[in-house]
Amino acid sequence: MPVRIVNLKVNGVDQAFMAKPETTLLLALREQLGLTGAKRGCAQGACGSCTVLLDGAPVVSCLVPAATVDGSAVATVEGLADGQELSDVQQAFIDGFATQCGFCTPGMIMSAEALLARNPDPTADEVNEAISGNVCRCTGYAPIVSAILDAARRRRERAGQEATR
Amino acid sequence: MLTEVHVPDDVSAAVRLIAGGATAIGGGTSVLPWLNDYASPPTELVSLRRTGLAGIRVDGTTVELGAATTLAQVEHDDRLAALNPVVRSIASTPVRTLATVGGNLFARQPHGDLAVALVALDARVTLVDSAGARELPVAELVAGGRPSGLVTAVGFELPQPGTFKYVKAARRRYNSASLVTVAATITEADGLVTAARVALGGVGPRVIRAHAVETALIGSPLTAETVRAAGEAGRGEIEPADDAYASAWYRTRVFPVHLRRALLGH
Repeated sequence: MPVRIVNLKVNGVDQAFMAKPETTLLLALREQLGLTGAKRGCAQGACGSCTVLLDGAPVVSCLVPAATVDGSAVATVEGLADGQELSDVQQAFIDGFATQCGFCTPGMIMSAEALLARNPDPTADEVNEAISGNVCRCTGYAPIVSAILDAARRRRERAGQEATR
Repeated sequence: MLTEVHVPDDVSAAVRLIAGGATAIGGGTSVLPWLNDYASPPTELVSLRRTGLAGIRVDGTTVELGAATTLAQVEHDDRLAALNPVVRSIASTPVRTLATVGGNLFARQPHGDLAVALVALDARVTLVDSAGARELPVAELVAGGRPSGLVTAVGFELPQPGTFKYVKAARRRYNSASLVTVAATITEADGLVTAARVALGGVGPRVIRAHAVETALIGSPLTAETVRAAGEAGRGEIEPADDAYASAWYRTRVFPVHLRRALLGH
């Protein structure tokens, strides 16, 4: 069974690990790097609970053979907080009671981060589209959409304050 | 199970590995779900990620999409306005980041809506094997049988403004398989349809080129009456199946409605 060394920059830190052929990006993050935020839900790319950012774009990490992304940058939910200070999206999820069981939350948050990076002022419909690949089986979609819109507003306000400073 | 994942740096190495029995993946979004169930036979993969096959070239009205171009790249390219909504109707954002143009040609119905659009656009693929490169219409590629070799590119002419039509009906607005997909290129002159290429998804085991629909349209004005007759004609060439999304009966029933919405916009 051929094993190879794969290098990734994960949340800004260079990491190297041994990958078997069947090692997916999700498996490497969880089992080898100890980053258990991304979840294994369906392993079919349909539930989105494994969503992370690969070179800045959201991917279902359960469908990515680790060997194919050697040298890439990966961002996971663990990398969002700045010390004890949560990201706008994380804080808005807490403030808006947008988590129930929490299983979908890391994937939802990474999809939201990807949306806001591309579109700082999304409509509710654009949020719906952005999280259409993330399933919440508690069906708490309404507070999730509100929280993402709230995070966008907080981020715009902060940017506005910094611009006038 | 997976026995090896090759990540070759060039097309000829990929072609050699495929000739040796390995399975090509673009983004892996069709193949990995099948491998993740751990019940698959021993499989070697060839990733196209480093083969240099990703890229969009637009030269006047001529478009060439490298086979490893992602659906997300097509989605966000303003030069491909006709295809932007097609791609947005496929899967979800974190899947489209991975899924590729070449891979979508092999997605099984009721998926693979890009292939439906490409048949309507009369697109062709470049297919490379050990004997060299050859071209093949997408319509032929998706009609059945798997030709040997590797799809390296898809080429087509951008449609004249207003001539390309696309509707995908699904259970949800985003991220759902096709119930009926209609893609068409319709040319009119002096109030009459002079040329029509109509492709259908969701209503058969493969993408269907709807010849009977085209015949019913050509030579007539594009009116509700003409489109109704074309829908009747098309009922004879669709082969819908029951699946988790809809019954064959339902697909047959709503096919003319979505044909009308695609061709007339209402």
